[in-house]
Amino acid sequence: MEPLVLSDFLTLGAGLFCISVAGIFLNRKNLIILLMCIELMLLAVNMNFIAFSHFNGDIQGQVFVFFILTVAAAESAIGLAILVVLFRNRQTINVEDLNSMKG
Amino acid sequence: MTFTFTPTDLTILLPEITLLTMACLTLAIDAYLPQNMRNLTYQLAQGTLIGTALLVFATYPQQPTVAMSNMFVSDPMGAVLKIFALLIVAVAFLYSKGYLQDRRMFKGEYFVLGLFATLGMMIMISAHSLLTIYLGLELLSLSLYTMVAMHRDSQSATEAAMKYFVLGAIASGMLLYGMSILYGVTNTLDLTTLAQYLNQPQSDNHTFLLFGLVFVIVGLAFKLGAVPFHMWVPDVYQGAPTAVTLFISSAPKLAAFALLMRLLADGLQALHSDWQSILILLSILSMALGNLVAIAQTNLKRMLAYSTIAHVGYLMLGVLTATKGGYAASMFYVLVYSLMSLGAFGMIILLSRAGFEAENISDFKGLNDRSPWYAFIMSILMLSMAGVPPMLGFWAKLSVLNQLVEAGLVWLAVVAVLFAIIGAFYYLRMVWMMYFEKAQDTSPLQANMDLRVAISANGLVILLLGMAPNMLMTLCLGTLGIG
Amino acid sequence: MTTTLIFYFFAATLIFAAFRVITVRNPVHAALFLVLTFFSSAAIWLLLQAEFLAIALVLVYVGAVMVLFLFVVMMLDINFAPLREGFAKHLPVGLTVGFLILIEMVMVVTHWKGLANPSTVVTTEMSNTKMLGQVLYTVYAYPFEIAAAILLVAMIAAIALTSRLHNRAKYQKPEQQVVVRREDRIRLISMPAEPKD
Repeated sequence: MEPLVLSDFLTLGAGLFCISVAGIFLNRKNLIILLMCIELMLLAVNMNFIAFSHFNGDIQGQVFVFFILTVAAAESAIGLAILVVLFRNRQTINVEDLNSMKG
Repeated sequence: MTFTFTPTDLTILLPEITLLTMACLTLAIDAYLPQNMRNLTYQLAQGTLIGTALLVFATYPQQPTVAMSNMFVSDPMGAVLKIFALLIVAVAFLYSKGYLQDRRMFKGEYFVLGLFATLGMMIMISAHSLLTIYLGLELLSLSLYTMVAMHRDSQSATEAAMKYFVLGAIASGMLLYGMSILYGVTNTLDLTTLAQYLNQPQSDNHTFLLFGLVFVIVGLAFKLGAVPFHMWVPDVYQGAPTAVTLFISSAPKLAAFALLMRLLADGLQALHSDWQSILILLSILSMALGNLVAIAQTNLKRMLAYSTIAHVGYLMLGVLTATKGGYAASMFYVLVYSLMSLGAFGMIILLSRAGFEAENISDFKGLNDRSPWYAFIMSILMLSMAGVPPMLGFWAKLSVLNQLVEAGLVWLAVVAVLFAIIGAFYYLRMVWMMYFEKAQDTSPLQANMDLRVAISANGLVILLLGMAPNMLMTLCLGTLGIG
Repeated sequence: MTTTLIFYFFAATLIFAAFRVITVRNPVHAALFLVLTFFSSAAIWLLLQAEFLAIALVLVYVGAVMVLFLFVVMMLDINFAPLREGFAKHLPVGLTVGFLILIEMVMVVTHWKGLANPSTVVTTEMSNTKMLGQVLYTVYAYPFEIAAAILLVAMIAAIALTSRLHNRAKYQKPEQQVVVRREDRIRLISMPAEPKD
């Protein structure tokens, strides 16, 4: 087995990113899973940044990941708050029920 | 990435620091106010915005200066955009005050979140690193998602907030993926170093740069609301309370323009031949879909949303020439657009009253019989949006088209004119309805005096600037170092 | 050699768990698989010598964010059956789209040669945490302050959106109960006695 190279980690990141995009396609109705897919997408981005940071010998990528983690936590708090308000109003989190506006 | 910090950094950042401090102070004071003194929160917010605008004016930079370890840039373009953004937010607060009071939404959070959103815009406008671009964008977006959902009992508002949130978060993910690739190739987050790296001749890295660029542009297109990434725009504009739609449609567009400028012009100028073709496609699609679908709408907020999509298409026309003149033309366009959008949504608020939303196009029928003055103001706004000469909107379109012709993209200019003519139809239909159809609702207008004065001033400013379009255009050219 | 084996083990777990997140029926299971995804990535980040971030991922994500997700799933008492409708219908399209993007992306990234002239490799004399800490409060002081503002906005948002301060809850006011007098509660009125029939 040869030692690990940068493209191994990038491929892993790309795989994770694609799974999250496919998940958004598949779970268009279930908002909770949609929020989880967004978390997966950010994880893929973080994987890229950390891999680059390691192989390019530069700390900036890790700092960026630090901030992405912070913002993503804030983002999911707001996302879940909106979800709770939506559920109280409509008793559902089904995206296809969200069709009061058309045109 | 060296650490440099001098006290002058703090003077350069003074407007941002003031805004942040005042936003926190407003939040703390608001928590202890009884509901009948909520007006104080509003006055504090207004004072903060005006004061910050004065500070930006007082610290107006003559040439670009970087601060805070090169993460912040203060330049003339940024200063003009910031002053406009702050004043537009102040006017938007003024417009929405009565609307919020009538609907029991007059809460301190609206104004505090508005201030934080404004801070996000200022950070984006002054961003000089991929990191600060992202953080400014998120500060703005997170505040906006919350403002849309603020009307908790409204089904359409919470639904709009959820759509806005999900699509906005996906857009951020795309943008970040692109940024990670750019970082991987260039090994820097700083925009100047990035541009320097790209200016060197390189052989094998071009594919990777393109790969990253595509993700960045998809993220940008989502945030701007350009076709085919526009699906959230109509629902959010229609579903959000009008006061929030007014906010979203005006000042954040200035920040979105700054986002385009910082990423594409400051950072990726060397790749312009690559992003130019993508932007051409996006702008043609936006102009076409925006203008065609707007004709079929009966809801005015939805119609204005599609008109926004079309305007975003025109806005990109200037940027895609990748010349300083083109950037100045786009800047002129976005300043004009945000003024017009502010006025148009302000008119919806003017005609609304407690328990009634004047958001259908038919609500404007026969406005001339009810109030000739406001029919006149609305006509100015609509004609300007349509780009009828000699209105301000016409000069904005003209300057963008001029730049296209100069850049040798005559065919694109012709396409843009064709769609502008199609688009003029639905704006002129509004004017027709106001003057030549009978009113369904003949009750007199009930708006407060300050709203009436402000909206008249808004219309008259557009009319007067249309008489002397060179003033604003010279300003835009000056900030980019031309003329 | 060992590192390579460890990488492939955690990478396989990561992909499997992520795939289960988007395909399982029950959102609680999805949340648990997401926890597994985070754990495996933390392990891979350790291989990449990003120790601080690996720990932070476990603490912040597994410890806080995923618990928040689970709370919401259980609190809302959602009927999940209808949410699965159309899943099978979207499955071929979703998987095809995902697979196509994957192939394109992998084609690009596997050709990555790395930088032509990588700068000096991160010195190992200093711990990863110390290195991050040193730049975070100096070079990155400005983004750090913005992040603080973002967290404040998230707090305001969560409270403003979900709190019910002015609801119809009834509660006691002890100070009023103490000062209450007989006259406040009872009123004696004299009425003429009704005549007997």
